[in-house]
Amino acid sequence: MPFSDREILETVRMVELETLDIRTTTLGINLLDCADPSLENTCEKVYTKILHHAKNLVEVADSIGADYGVPIVNKRIAVTPISLIAAASNSPDLVPIARAMDAAASEVGVDYIGGFTSYVHKGFSKADWALFDSIPEALSQTERVCASLSLASTRAGINMDAVVRFSEVVQATAELTRETGGLGCAKLVCFCNVVEDNPFVAGAHIGIGEPETVLNVGVSGPGVVRAALAKLGAEPDLVAVAETIKRTAFKITRVGELVGREAAKRLGTTFGIVDVSLAPTPAIGDSVADILELIGVDVTGAPGTTAALALLTDAVKKGGAMASSRVGGLSGAFIPVSEDEGMIEAVRKGALSLAKLEAMTTVCSVGLDMVAVPGDTPISVITGIVADQMAIGMVNNKTTAVRIIPVPGKGPGETVEWGGLLGTAIVQDPGQFAAEIFHRRGGRIPAPLQSYRN
Amino acid sequence: MSRQYLTAEDVENAGSMEIVVDEKTIVTPQALEVAEAAGISIRTAAGSYSEPTPDRGPDASFAMRGLPQLPEPSAGTPGEGGIVTAFGKNRQGVLAEITGVLAELGVGVLDVSQKVVGGHFHMVLSIELTNSHDFRDLQERLACLGGSDDYLVQLMHDRVFRFMHRI
Repeated sequence: MPFSDREILETVRMVELETLDIRTTTLGINLLDCADPSLENTCEKVYTKILHHAKNLVEVADSIGADYGVPIVNKRIAVTPISLIAAASNSPDLVPIARAMDAAASEVGVDYIGGFTSYVHKGFSKADWALFDSIPEALSQTERVCASLSLASTRAGINMDAVVRFSEVVQATAELTRETGGLGCAKLVCFCNVVEDNPFVAGAHIGIGEPETVLNVGVSGPGVVRAALAKLGAEPDLVAVAETIKRTAFKITRVGELVGREAAKRLGTTFGIVDVSLAPTPAIGDSVADILELIGVDVTGAPGTTAALALLTDAVKKGGAMASSRVGGLSGAFIPVSEDEGMIEAVRKGALSLAKLEAMTTVCSVGLDMVAVPGDTPISVITGIVADQMAIGMVNNKTTAVRIIPVPGKGPGETVEWGGLLGTAIVQDPGQFAAEIFHRRGGRIPAPLQSYRN
Repeated sequence: MSRQYLTAEDVENAGSMEIVVDEKTIVTPQALEVAEAAGISIRTAAGSYSEPTPDRGPDASFAMRGLPQLPEPSAGTPGEGGIVTAFGKNRQGVLAEITGVLAELGVGVLDVSQKVVGGHFHMVLSIELTNSHDFRDLQERLACLGGSDDYLVQLMHDRVFRFMHRI
């Protein structure tokens, strides 16, 4: 036998019992050639180009899933930041482009399309301003379109005017999607040190240094890591824990590497990156919080959680780095609160506060993700939360993000059901105080000393 | 100069009943609709228009050259292989049923391993795949065996095991 029974059964068990899957195959499509002085023509070209390149994406992904026995859960599309495409039209209203993207995504059968995006970490172009203005309508009128915004970077500092504008856009989007619990905000994220090859939504888009078309893969597998740690037990020391996570991440990433190679070959395109991120889902056992608790914290949010998460993120990266030469995207561990059954439980127990979540974002791979706050949270408070998160990313040379949902009509402690992958959230209390003057000052937080590296 | 896209507006402004496009031009669905409604024909110099094969860009051809050169983890067996796994209640004839399907489709078995624990069994078969085998057909035929209260069979390509367990 070329493999031992143990090896074969391990793989089968990972897929059948431990929810190993390829979370997403995301086809990146460069839309720069769709720019046109007429917005109508731009929309027509955007729709056509997406269809032209992605029409067999779902079929190819499903056939690979069947051949290799590993399900590819989501098929997605990422496009060039729309503010760049829209600039030629000089239009103040970019909602029609979002509708064209949505129609194309629906036609090819993908679940999300990312790229209603703008880079404003240093300032706004006219098209960037128009894109910000269009986001609330765009996200409320479409089903599949995701918006992402680059507000800060280690090199540029933090554009506080953009942080304020983002916070206003978040509130307006929540209000326009009031009936679904502010769900539009689940499709809206801002970044510091934005990742230009991110295959995961809501941040998926392809940056300006990316090829004409590119296939990026996002692997997942918290369930597999959890099972490996459960088997390890509570006795072995932390080096053994790190080693176990690393070996498991290696195996998960190898499957991503295989799927990426095969998908790129079958689609005839460039294989971009494998994003090695532990991305939880609301399914029982598919939880990053469970992993932290198996590492040894009583409940996620207890003292020690940040250290445990640091170990986890690092071990995942190290295992992934050995398994593929194209590890990219965000790669680490996601902590989207509402999407992780263990995190929701920790919030319910009162163990996981917004402040602790912020501390955790200093060592996780992204940032404050899928956090629900009261619908009447003042814009100045949201501005403060976003600014803090951007500062953590800027100073630490890492990517940070904020996906925050002010849930209309709900107060702290109340529950909101979004359903599906987005899960259930308990509205968290952002506290009594704001940063009103800080919010009003505007301007830019200059780039930190870390940026002077030439 | 060849155009990248032909839009509805281009058709409306064409001013003739026939538009000749380059073979690589992508005619938008809206342009096709407008042309059809107005009775305008769209064609290429060589004949009727059909949507071109997607041009994935200059990197795609480099990628197609590079992908086959990437080292593949080897399991020490020649050619392509498959791994059949079966689990369920132990009873007589399971192995015969599985190998029966394989024999019928002309698939060679390289190795078999079986264990029985407390009335349940698990079985692993390593099989040889050649280009003449329809993988999907084989997969479906095997999946039809047994049943949820009897036993379950599945076939996976051995490449996934090679990637996961071999460097």
